[in-house]
Amino acid sequence: MSSLLRTLLLDLFIVAAGGATLHAASDGLRAFTTESARRLAIREAPRALPALRLQADDGSFIDLRDYRGRWLLVDFIYTRCQSYCSVLGGDFAQLQDRLAQPLAQGRLHLLSISFDPQHDDPARLVAYRRRFADRGHGWSAARPVDAAELATLTQAFGIKVIADGQGGYVHNASIMLVDPQGRLVDVFDAGAAGVVAGAVQQWLLR
Amino acid sequence: MAALTLYPQSERLPRGERITFNLYMVSALLLFVLMMTLGLIMRMGQGLWLNVPPDLFYRILSMHGAGMVGTMSLATTAVMWFFLRKYVTLHLWAFLANYLLFLTGALIIIGAIFIGRYAGLWTFLYPLPTHPMGMWENSAAACFMVGYLFIGVGSLLFYLDAAAGIIARYGNFGRAMGLQWLFGGTIDPDHPKTVVAGTMVVIANSLGILAGAVVLVMYLVAIAYPGFTMNALYAKNLTYWFGHMYINAAIYMGVIAVYELLARYSGRPYAISRPFLWSWAASCVFVIIVFPHHLLMDYAQPRWVSVTGQVVSYLAGFPVFLVTVWGALNNIHRSGMRWTTPARLMILSLFGWAAGIVPAILDGTIGINRVMHNTQWVPGHFHFYLLLGVLPMVLALLYHVVGSRRGAAPDSAADRIGVPVYLVGGMVFALAFLDAGHMSVARRMSSHLPAWIMNDRVGAIGASLVLLAMLYFAARIIAGLLRAPSVESAANAAA
Amino acid sequence: MSQQRHARARAAIALLTVVLLATPPLRRTLEASMTLQMLVQLPLLALLGAWLAAALPARLGTALAAWDRGGCSGLLLASVAALPWMLPRALDAAVDLPWVALVKFAGVPLLIGAPFALSWPRMGFVLRGVFCMEAVATCFRLGWLYLVAPQSLCSNYLIDDQRRLGQWLLAIGLALCVALLGKLLAGRFDTRGSGADPPDRP
Repeated sequence: MSSLLRTLLLDLFIVAAGGATLHAASDGLRAFTTESARRLAIREAPRALPALRLQADDGSFIDLRDYRGRWLLVDFIYTRCQSYCSVLGGDFAQLQDRLAQPLAQGRLHLLSISFDPQHDDPARLVAYRRRFADRGHGWSAARPVDAAELATLTQAFGIKVIADGQGGYVHNASIMLVDPQGRLVDVFDAGAAGVVAGAVQQWLLR
Repeated sequence: MAALTLYPQSERLPRGERITFNLYMVSALLLFVLMMTLGLIMRMGQGLWLNVPPDLFYRILSMHGAGMVGTMSLATTAVMWFFLRKYVTLHLWAFLANYLLFLTGALIIIGAIFIGRYAGLWTFLYPLPTHPMGMWENSAAACFMVGYLFIGVGSLLFYLDAAAGIIARYGNFGRAMGLQWLFGGTIDPDHPKTVVAGTMVVIANSLGILAGAVVLVMYLVAIAYPGFTMNALYAKNLTYWFGHMYINAAIYMGVIAVYELLARYSGRPYAISRPFLWSWAASCVFVIIVFPHHLLMDYAQPRWVSVTGQVVSYLAGFPVFLVTVWGALNNIHRSGMRWTTPARLMILSLFGWAAGIVPAILDGTIGINRVMHNTQWVPGHFHFYLLLGVLPMVLALLYHVVGSRRGAAPDSAADRIGVPVYLVGGMVFALAFLDAGHMSVARRMSSHLPAWIMNDRVGAIGASLVLLAMLYFAARIIAGLLRAPSVESAANAAA
Repeated sequence: MSQQRHARARAAIALLTVVLLATPPLRRTLEASMTLQMLVQLPLLALLGAWLAAALPARLGTALAAWDRGGCSGLLLASVAALPWMLPRALDAAVDLPWVALVKFAGVPLLIGAPFALSWPRMGFVLRGVFCMEAVATCFRLGWLYLVAPQSLCSNYLIDDQRRLGQWLLAIGLALCVALLGKLLAGRFDTRGSGADPPDRP
């Protein structure tokens, strides 16, 4: 076998192997970033959420499982946020209006969970909701009871939080949808309440 | 002198090379005829002699632009190859690879336009291709970009092979361009002008292709991710850098034919000189930085960039053309020139190139360009020196090659009619455009105002004459190329 | 002989350096920002791979040469192996997942640096030219992309880090371009390898 032929064969193999690796590494060329991979995974295989002990903003201790039977829109916040993630608060206020009917019927609930439990006690959580003109129904805030729960929480939802070098945090700010069986089924971008409302209504109809 | 041999041994093509050269030129001639037909259809459509629906018009315009630029480059690449291979080692695989990649790219572009309905013109200015407003699918725009990428890669392979050969023989590009003789020293009289011109083209067009490689991939990203936007000004500058360099490289490759052939037909040697070296060195720099002259009417462009475009347009217009025309005129003055068809075509080409510079320089003036850019003045100037300047250079070489196959320069009665018909047709056609510019006729428009239609019809008549002549040239040359070299021509190494 | 010992010494240092880079403190430093990971850590690992390749026994080298005509296979392997590392999620995963980190510290030297170093001497002018052009173009493309991307592409890194990386990439691309042009205009070339071998007739 001439070296030309050998080289050709090896090159074909390399291209095939490389193509397969790239295909696998990018979920079939569909997800090039961690965030898009996360969302794709959630949409393709709803993720069952574990038990999570939280303290609600009225001081009571609850579990994420308590929301089973209802659809849940979850976002992750920290009340000291001065930057982009504060848009989430406004989103939820808008969603209270746009999704008023399912909220009133008790089919849907909005939950903001803080990933800064040391600072965000129940009082601060209530103040946070008020700051964004909470319409007064269907929206509550909570914090994980301790650091261990926080770790379980971020892992379960796939949240990445990193310090932004200015005393705050940067995270993949998004709004997540949990179905009545307690599974994470969809993820939306922040800052587009209309899109979220539309998508949620589709889910509710199924 | 050896340089005056009409058909030197060094230009004889072995079988593989002859077949590839024929592939290039036969394809180019057929494509020229096809693109000219498309052009005629457009002129007739504007002149209301044909009913061309607007969406079809813009598709045709996109095809005509991309097709003409690509084909011109294809043909002149073969011109450069034909002569450069005498001085440096060029590999057939690179020459053939360019052809195959060009053909693939061209087919993809044709598909994108006539099947995918892409109609964003050959300049694909951002954000038009990504905002088709329902006229074509994003996939069609993507295919168009991919087609360009194929063509660019093909050219790059050819240029890299040429670069390898040039460096192997001359050491580096600087020595190949004779830069060591710019300020003094004895110029080697045998230093080929082809090598100087060829090196300049390799440098300039490689940079242009680099710009294209960057911006075309960014377009593909923008098409794949609708949320992704890029700065339109950067995108347009890079796009024009790529396109400008590509067509200018074609012109400079074409002029190699004049440098090589004129002396043989005039019988007087055409020596290399210091002004020649200076003008090519200067033009190398100028052609790279002059591209802003395509964006003079873009008010978002920083002022210094536009001023550079104007100043360098003036500077760049003159050196190579002056030296070439002066050198050529000197060469043929009282030289006992053999006025066979190749010679006539060469003189025509020099006229076309020289005269075509005038409207180009005018258009390169910011104050004028602001008013004239969107008029038919612009196609007027580039059709002038492409149709009457560069294409005749290619035809001259082709007639010369046809002559070499039978041992004597062609100069039949039909040839002697063909050249004037081409010239008259081309002048009428180009002047109609320039006159339209003077009347402020908008360019790139399928539907014309009634006041413009007379002008369009005159242009259509000119175009018909050009097409007629071109049909004759194509048939004549293709027949000549496909004919095997005769036994006498093999023995006829001397003129 | 001393050249071989020299090469083996360099390979030993390279191996040691790779292991050192994999230790937590050095990892933390070099993976602290996108710019550092992409422009310092990864290229360094590739370079160390090149040093490792220099110590390849001559017999193995000759055997490989039969499969690497014109340097094609090595270049292809290095390019194909480099592609996954251009995915933003790969940079994230290398920080978060231990197995991906292992793949990085082993794979980048062995599948990118080493094959490239082994093949480069065999590559003709045209192939080297294609590689250089693509390298410059990739710097410009990625640089531009990182500058204009509306969001942070890597979950582990901040967006201003991404923008800074974009600026660095543009600067590096420009520097490479100028350097190449300078060499082509005024430099000296090893003409043995240039021009490539005559076309092969099988």
